[in-house]
Amino acid sequence: MKASLAGLALLSMLVNSFASARPVSYTGGWTFIEESDRQASSALVHYTPAPSWSIGLRTEVNRESDFAVYSVHPTWLAKRWFGRDYQGNFYLHGGIGVASGINDNVLNDQTAVYGGVMADWETRSLFAGYRSRYLDAGHFGDQFMHAARMGFAPYEGDSGDLHTWLMLEIDHRPEHQDPVTATPLIRLFKGPLLLEMGYNLTVNQPLLNFTYRF
Amino acid sequence: MKFKILVCCLSFGTALSLAASAQDHDHDGHHSTEPAHEDHSAHTDHADHDHGEMEHVSSASTGTHPGSDAHVRLTKTEDISAALAQGGEPIVADVMGVVCDFCALAMNKIFSKREEVAAVYVDLDTKALNLVLTPGATMSDETIAELAVQAGYRIAAVRRGDEALGQAS
Repeated sequence: MKASLAGLALLSMLVNSFASARPVSYTGGWTFIEESDRQASSALVHYTPAPSWSIGLRTEVNRESDFAVYSVHPTWLAKRWFGRDYQGNFYLHGGIGVASGINDNVLNDQTAVYGGVMADWETRSLFAGYRSRYLDAGHFGDQFMHAARMGFAPYEGDSGDLHTWLMLEIDHRPEHQDPVTATPLIRLFKGPLLLEMGYNLTVNQPLLNFTYRF
Repeated sequence: MKFKILVCCLSFGTALSLAASAQDHDHDGHHSTEPAHEDHSAHTDHADHDHGEMEHVSSASTGTHPGSDAHVRLTKTEDISAALAQGGEPIVADVMGVVCDFCALAMNKIFSKREEVAAVYVDLDTKALNLVLTPGATMSDETIAELAVQAGYRIAAVRRGDEALGQAS
């Protein structure tokens, strides 16, 4: 039991996704993140009390399995590498909350925990990233996914300009009928707004991510 | 079983990150609580000396670093020029890792909250934080460095006055 609680505590210390493009903001900053991929849609609002971590509330609707997860979602910036022309980040992300059935799913509510890692490296014109997550939602099931993404910016915009990125994401979800899929996408970035639009070529599903920082 | 594997992986990742944190943070710099450039004549408020992080980046180690060789000048936006016209002190700080608009936004948000700051602009092209203080106000290098840390970034060098304007002899 103690081991389980320690595991939960560890998971609850952990963080989240490419769309967040900095899932930890500046001190005192708030961020709203919406994500929708081939499996789920989610919304996260987080606050950054210190430059190394953020805490938020997250709702995730798993469209395939008809359940939702409502969770507290901390993110820890474990390490940031600085260079003159680049920045690298290593995050731990996670959450703990309640999983509930939606639509025709009548299963009782269950405690849900999830956690994973995220890493990225970027310059003004190149991007590479990786993220993983494991979700244990009790009798609603468990899920593991990880994904890698690479991208480039066809031009380098300055502050306040519209920044454009072309990216390719490859994700792996072992339990799925199509475990490996590819999603080309475009990222548009201007001031506090970030919008990502893509299309999963393998399963014919759209990807739509939105971030607003304030 | 998967849960245990996950916990093990995360523990390993945490240990790795902590080990990495124990080492020097960067490839070409080192930490110091002392600024790269000090203009002690501008320091009238010693309460501002809050010992933030600042990088020392020597010209020998970076070659083309804007703080050493390129001597990035103040970027004159409309706000910056207006604040300069009011007589505020110009400051240019080279920033490490500023690669995107969210980086610029973070710096703008943090610095624009300060009463001493009349105008702020982060230039991604020159990788520099451009500040003009309100007339008569001061802001120490350490304060600038600490505010940059609050934004999630790190200052490599600070230039002031004529040096920031590119008019130093």
